[in-house]
Amino acid sequence: MATIAAPTYAPAAAPPRVADEPTGLWSWLTTVDHKRIGTLYLFTSLFFFVWGGLEAAVIRAQLAGPNMTIVSAETYNQLFTMHGTTMVFLAIMPLSAAFFNLLIPLQIGARDVAFPRLNAFSYWIYLLGGIFITAPVLFHVAPDGGWFGYAPLTTKASSPGINIDFWVIGLQILGISTLAASFNFITTIVNMRAPGMNMMRMPMFTWNAFITQFLVMLAFPVITIALQFLIFDRFFGTNFYTTAAGADPLLWQHLFWIFGHPEVYILILPAFGMVSEVIPTFSRKPIFGYPVMVYATVLIGFLGFGVWAHHMFAVGMGPVADSVFALTTMLIAIPTGVKIFNWISTMWGGAIRFTTAAKFAIALVGMFTVGGISGVMHSSPPADLQQTDTYFIVAHFHYVLFGGSMFGLFAGIYYYFPKFIGRLMNERLGNWSFWTMFVGMNLTFFPMHFSGLLGMPRRIYTYDADQGYTLYNQLSSIGTAILIVGVAISLYNLVRSWKKGEVAGNDPWGAGTLEWTIPSPPPDYNFAELPRVTSRYPLWDVKAPALTREVPHSERGDRELEVQGPGALNGDHDVLGTADINPTGGPGPRGGAPVMANAMQRASERPGGRLPTARELGIPMPNPSIWPLVCATGVVVMFCGLMFLEKSTKLGVSVMVLGGLWTAASLLHWLTTPLEDAH
Amino acid sequence: MPPSHRRWRPAATALLAVAALAALAACSPAPFFRGPNSIFTRYTETNRDVNGLFDSLFFFGTVVFVLVEALLLYAIVKFRRKPGQAEPKHVHGNTTLEVLWTAIPAVILIFIAVPTVRTIFRTQAKARPGALQVEVIGHQWWWEFRYPEYNITTANELYLPVGRTVNFALKTADVLHSFWIPALSGKRDLIANHTNFLWFTPDSVGAASWNGHCAEYCGASHANMKFRVYTVTPEQFASWTKGQQQVAAFGAVANAGTTSGPQTVGAPAAAAATAKQAGAGVRESGPRAGEQGLGDEAAARNNPVPTQPASGAGAAGNPNAAPTPATQAQQAQFANVPAGYTYPAASLPKHVRPSTPIPADLKRRVNMQLVGDPARGQQAFLSCIGCHYINGNPIAIGKIGPNLTHIGSRNTLAAGLYPNDTEHLRAWLKNSRAMKPGVTMPTLGLGETDPVTKQKVTVGGLTDQQIADLAAYLQALK
Repeated sequence: MATIAAPTYAPAAAPPRVADEPTGLWSWLTTVDHKRIGTLYLFTSLFFFVWGGLEAAVIRAQLAGPNMTIVSAETYNQLFTMHGTTMVFLAIMPLSAAFFNLLIPLQIGARDVAFPRLNAFSYWIYLLGGIFITAPVLFHVAPDGGWFGYAPLTTKASSPGINIDFWVIGLQILGISTLAASFNFITTIVNMRAPGMNMMRMPMFTWNAFITQFLVMLAFPVITIALQFLIFDRFFGTNFYTTAAGADPLLWQHLFWIFGHPEVYILILPAFGMVSEVIPTFSRKPIFGYPVMVYATVLIGFLGFGVWAHHMFAVGMGPVADSVFALTTMLIAIPTGVKIFNWISTMWGGAIRFTTAAKFAIALVGMFTVGGISGVMHSSPPADLQQTDTYFIVAHFHYVLFGGSMFGLFAGIYYYFPKFIGRLMNERLGNWSFWTMFVGMNLTFFPMHFSGLLGMPRRIYTYDADQGYTLYNQLSSIGTAILIVGVAISLYNLVRSWKKGEVAGNDPWGAGTLEWTIPSPPPDYNFAELPRVTSRYPLWDVKAPALTREVPHSERGDRELEVQGPGALNGDHDVLGTADINPTGGPGPRGGAPVMANAMQRASERPGGRLPTARELGIPMPNPSIWPLVCATGVVVMFCGLMFLEKSTKLGVSVMVLGGLWTAASLLHWLTTPLEDAH
Repeated sequence: MPPSHRRWRPAATALLAVAALAALAACSPAPFFRGPNSIFTRYTETNRDVNGLFDSLFFFGTVVFVLVEALLLYAIVKFRRKPGQAEPKHVHGNTTLEVLWTAIPAVILIFIAVPTVRTIFRTQAKARPGALQVEVIGHQWWWEFRYPEYNITTANELYLPVGRTVNFALKTADVLHSFWIPALSGKRDLIANHTNFLWFTPDSVGAASWNGHCAEYCGASHANMKFRVYTVTPEQFASWTKGQQQVAAFGAVANAGTTSGPQTVGAPAAAAATAKQAGAGVRESGPRAGEQGLGDEAAARNNPVPTQPASGAGAAGNPNAAPTPATQAQQAQFANVPAGYTYPAASLPKHVRPSTPIPADLKRRVNMQLVGDPARGQQAFLSCIGCHYINGNPIAIGKIGPNLTHIGSRNTLAAGLYPNDTEHLRAWLKNSRAMKPGVTMPTLGLGETDPVTKQKVTVGGLTDQQIADLAAYLQALK
């Protein structure tokens, strides 16, 4: 019988590298390689995650007892605003984007994303926008209107300072990054899948990423409009949100939450995708009910646009609207529940290996369930009126976003680190980190259910003694300290394993998807030869064909693509075909050994374990370019002009014109420089 | 193990688990959430409805939670990888199971959805006719309460007669706020250019005091935008409205000195006893909802100002006023002063009495040695007339700040942030901006530094003596 033992590799001193791989700062500034951009995203988002975490630490210190005065009311309000803004826009979303970048091309068997330079542009915009919105914290002028920025509090009349200006402009800048990335990934997934990789063979992470991009594409324009109105109000004296001029403050709320609720799924779906990769690998079973998982994701994405007003039950929309949004909100629990059960069923009957990645993924299933149940509790408007804007909600969405998103993404970090660095993260440190984070997370957020239902409102910088929730706040604050230790261990592990980790090899976990067929770290061209895909777990087809024989396949697609169908699958079948599609329609050539074996051999055959370069293999790859960074800087300069407008119209307009010309010029240069060398 | 045992064991385990689960889930959540501001109270029909919904939400939530986590734990214990284990069979799905776990949650949701929709329509119907109308106007960061029926305007302290439905019309003067009394009802937002409504009936509660809080982030002092709610007997309510309708009581108490004002500590036993009596009376009459709402006037005639002595007696023994110990005669003099019932400070439970400390440096600067003269204080009030209204003081017609007509009868200061006693009042008058972030009221004390503008108050600033006088005047406004 076939067994997929944990793969063993001859010990190597270092992971394989491409011979002429560029290094140095300039190579990072000009890179258009999706893996390097992904790495930049990863570290930048982890930096902001730590930043947002420290903001939370101060918040929890202030709330550790009644009537504390560690920070002033104004500072506290800036801290909670920036904690939310940082975690949502600068930590979780870009951390997901890091994985989109790292994984999507690899999982679909592509050599890069569709628009490599646009991809770099997205990153630079994110970095510069992140600095723009975060730096004011250091000067005590950080945004203080909450991450939701409710008008009319954020209008000039109520917030005359520059704090909100940083927020509204910063988010507008960040939106460009997110939208550009979504177009890029949708195009990539639709057009650049390897032969035979039809939609229903895409790995679950790519599916979740795909749906997420549609959510971004449809939700971000709405927040862009809302922010643009606010910019117009604040800088040009329009009256979109000026209540004194008769504006309806609910305009902002509706626009914000039409974006804001899909945003929740933008934050959680990538983590769901990650778990759907990790659990099958470590259970050594394919994902249970793949089609249903896909449909559930699509349905969550679709329903996610129909529930926004459940954030607004307290505004008095009337009984009909309340009822409708209550029902749609309840409905969304069904596909989410299906996912939970399918993950458990994937583990059922498996042989689960409890690596750190597996622990984080399994913990997501358990913790997200808690957040899901409390979510159903506030889908009921009369009950929600006692929950909304209390710590019960804070507990709920931290179970979803920390116990869900962050745990999923941490699973991703532990799972994919060896693929991109070529070395494994330390499992013992990982184990310590996981358990500390698990305990810390629950100790921080579970008591918030109690403080909320005991009547503690959100966003209060202090509370009085004898209100009945001091104890729960103390528990939360202790939990935060533990949580910080847990995260610190993982970050230490990350840095330490970078140079000292055990060399991983192509497939350290015995996984089944395409990214594990190529060397770790992958060469810049990813696949020496484009793979041909006949199933959802092509690598398992190679390693244990007897087990994968029952995989449902769509034979029609295979016929069209001239890819060998599953009926002919056998032990020495060429799953990862060695040639591109034969354009004449005849069957492509089939070699004996799969490509991934070839690639491994090539690596080990070459002196020093070097991989062949793209040039040697005759693969045209996009050239590095500084123009995305230059262009991104121009965009940010243009937006900065608004900040000077109030001081001096002349200065403000000059800066905007300068930024505009800068952007246009660099864009022109960008567009007139060919992507690749002529070939 | 004999095969028969093996066959029965899982069934028995499952049965036991189901029984334990049912027992656990059948528990009402209320006992786990005991606290002074807990939402799990049954004092109003709205909170009883909400409690009913919570019962079923907790029931199904617990069932789902235990089921999912048990399956998960079972899976990770049972299916952990064992050394030398063969590769698991590749299972790709099971349509029956998947349909099942799509359908079961859907059915559970029906059990939640039906009572939800019913409750939505019940609680959002129009308030019953004859309800007490109260207009709530949110300001950054205090609450204005108007009783149009009685032509009363007050701030930060609400009086509600037990048994009568109260219908709040919610408006805001500036940004969004949210009106929330956790123990009595869910919240409702205050939105500019909208009027929202919220009603409930405190029908099964006695004379009691409650915390209210702004629940929508509204800027710097959102955390300090609190209010107090007193549910009182219809008789007490009638007496209170009578008192509030009168012009400012100052004049009758020209010699009140600094010892007046609601006290927070050290109440004589008599006051407590009276309050208790009053409370007991309410509890007896509580369930007879409706009829009392209409009988306010009659009740007031039959039982005029039942607890006047309580509030008078409660005024005695303020340790903050130690430098000028009041004589029995003086106490007797202004014991008669309050025109109507006010909730006795002495019977306020701890959680309703603010304990926010005055910033330490300001506390040191507050001069407690001086004796205030209310008559002089009335003159000093010229500094305040631009923003504050006092019915009975013809020049105090400002509308920006809270109506101060009966400020002396309130138990708290600065939207529930501080107790309304001599020390806090003097500190507030001296430097309110140091006591509550973001307040509009300027720093008034001579020589004080305004924490916002960082400028020292010089010309026109109030001296300590003026502050003492002003505090005495305000405290006299019963």
